[in-house]
Amino acid sequence: MKSENGFYGQYGGSYIPEILYSSQQQILNAFEEAKNDPAFLAELHKQWQQFSGRPTPLTYCENLTEHFGGAQIYLKREDLNHSGAHKMNNVIGQGLLVKRMGKKRVIAETGAGQHGIATALVAARLGLECTIYMGAKDIERQYPNVFWMKQLGATVVPVTTGAQTLRDALDEALRDWSSSHEESHYLIGTSCGCAPFPEMVAFFQSVIGDEVREQSVAQFGQFPDRLYACVGGGSNACGLFLPFLDDKEVEMVGVEAGGKGLELGEHSIRLSHDLGQPGIAQGFATMFLQDKAGQLQETHSIAAGLDYVGVSPIIAHLAETGRIKMTYAMDDEVINACTLLLKKEGIIPALESSHALAGAFKDAPNLPKASRIVINLSGRGDKDIFNVAKAVEDETFPQFLTDYLASYPTTATDKSNNTGEKA
Amino acid sequence: MSQLAAFIKEKRQQKPILSMTHVVYGYPTVQESLDWMARLMKEGVDFIEVQFPFSDPVADGPSIVAACHKALEQDLDVDTCLSQIGKLARDYSDSRIVLMSYLNPMYRFGLDKLAKRAAEENIQGLILPDLPIEQAASYQAACASHKIDPIWLVTPVTPKDRLAMLAGQSSGFLYCVARSGVTGHSSHEEKSQKTPLDDYLAQIKQHASAPMGVGFGLRERSHIEQLMGKADIAILGSALLDAYNQGGQEAGVELLQTLFTD
Repeated sequence: MKSENGFYGQYGGSYIPEILYSSQQQILNAFEEAKNDPAFLAELHKQWQQFSGRPTPLTYCENLTEHFGGAQIYLKREDLNHSGAHKMNNVIGQGLLVKRMGKKRVIAETGAGQHGIATALVAARLGLECTIYMGAKDIERQYPNVFWMKQLGATVVPVTTGAQTLRDALDEALRDWSSSHEESHYLIGTSCGCAPFPEMVAFFQSVIGDEVREQSVAQFGQFPDRLYACVGGGSNACGLFLPFLDDKEVEMVGVEAGGKGLELGEHSIRLSHDLGQPGIAQGFATMFLQDKAGQLQETHSIAAGLDYVGVSPIIAHLAETGRIKMTYAMDDEVINACTLLLKKEGIIPALESSHALAGAFKDAPNLPKASRIVINLSGRGDKDIFNVAKAVEDETFPQFLTDYLASYPTTATDKSNNTGEKA
Repeated sequence: MSQLAAFIKEKRQQKPILSMTHVVYGYPTVQESLDWMARLMKEGVDFIEVQFPFSDPVADGPSIVAACHKALEQDLDVDTCLSQIGKLARDYSDSRIVLMSYLNPMYRFGLDKLAKRAAEENIQGLILPDLPIEQAASYQAACASHKIDPIWLVTPVTPKDRLAMLAGQSSGFLYCVARSGVTGHSSHEEKSQKTPLDDYLAQIKQHASAPMGVGFGLRERSHIEQLMGKADIAILGSALLDAYNQGGQEAGVELLQTLFTD
């Protein structure tokens, strides 16, 4: 979606410290050139195919469809990307842009760790130095991802300020970029931040919706009636939705994290029920969860990748204009949706993506049998093994962990080599 | 001429360089921060830069970030802050207070209301590091109508034509960031300094229609001496906060004296 000078309605823009002006202009120009350069686009498609395995399938879910007895249910299988999530689409694109700009280092923030891993993978492949900022709390929740980032050669820096989650990681990445902008690129993982990041990330993610356009016509002879995507930062939703923006008959539903409840601090619902308010922070204008004085607030979701305090200005604008309908799913509904997909279709969804499932499953029984919905399965759930085991109260898991620890060869409690040191 | 620029011009007749000290409002408590401001003005600082805390201060390094987060453990209110620092401005009329914050809390308060209230309290300058001049038309108009100065920042990596534009629009004073990066010491240290500080300041001076303040990374007497004759104000932020954290007001005053006494 094209912006007006970086703005989407009242959202977006560029609100960055003066020190970042030149670097931001450089990215603006490099992206503008690259997206119009057939050689760049050819290389992008080649890397998407050869490194990440695109195109990803559109999978018909016969059992689920029968289970709900309503709409025909399809999944867009972004979980089958290399790295196990849609994040790969964007990092391949920005990685190639970094090479084009001649920079040697990338900085990234990560919530669940999926973007961190994707960035570390691409950095390794392209020979770039890589520093990942991650909230200390997220590191606790998603340590397996941290482990792989370090094994890939990235430096993982735990962020211990504020709420120690994605938002703080983003602040710290911006601070690093303020000092290192001449040789470093800030490889932002979602369609947020100052211009041109929202547009650029949405551009690279739009391969999702572009493929669904072709696949839906090939598989059932028309575009889907409805699309579902979870909305954290908003990149997988932008990717699926934006290519269908002008097809007015295609409905779009964004699903935010309802968390544990609707009190401030218990959820990450920014775009419905008057819970978020317009604000300007972290480089851009959007709907933020904040108090009356404009201080950004803590958020919660069972899915680390969804508990961001702001949201893509593109999604905020499209929600405001009514093009996208926003809803939310609670933590327990998300676990139920995850479990149902496992049992019925043999697919392990990420908890982030399970929000989209939960949103769609609520509507599916009430939709006509002839209608077709596509749910963006943005990531796979292997990373969530510990959290899902806890949520479903698996009885054997604690014993497994105890036994595993007992047989662990070295001093497993020494955490000092996990913090900020290069692996 | 703006009130701030006139004040600077007059003071500069007696001093080779003026001092601006930074204090985080509400750190560690509101009263302690107000006491600290009063003490600094008693000690003869020319300016106080009061930072109204924001949860996500992206241009600040660890010292100021930690102070802002500590301060935000209390409920802080922009209007009350303005009244309180306004009283200080009246009590210590040989010094001036400028207010610095990030855009969001000020945007929520209302930029027009902010300019109006600041003017009422004789807070003559405002610094919003994440509001670029391109998005600032209504803010500039509000400041102009209430006769206070929006203070703009320039940096060593600001392109020449942009530097000329910002310097040309400067009012009150121009905040010249001395180096890349965030405020104070941090793990993010700049790797190279492309333009020597003297050349950078000389370049700005060609275009600047207002006096010049220099900040970011000033910690030693030699840093201050280097600015004499090239700038009007030396801005002391994180170094002072670090000293205050180490040894309270006395340590802070000691640093101030070391830096600003011949």
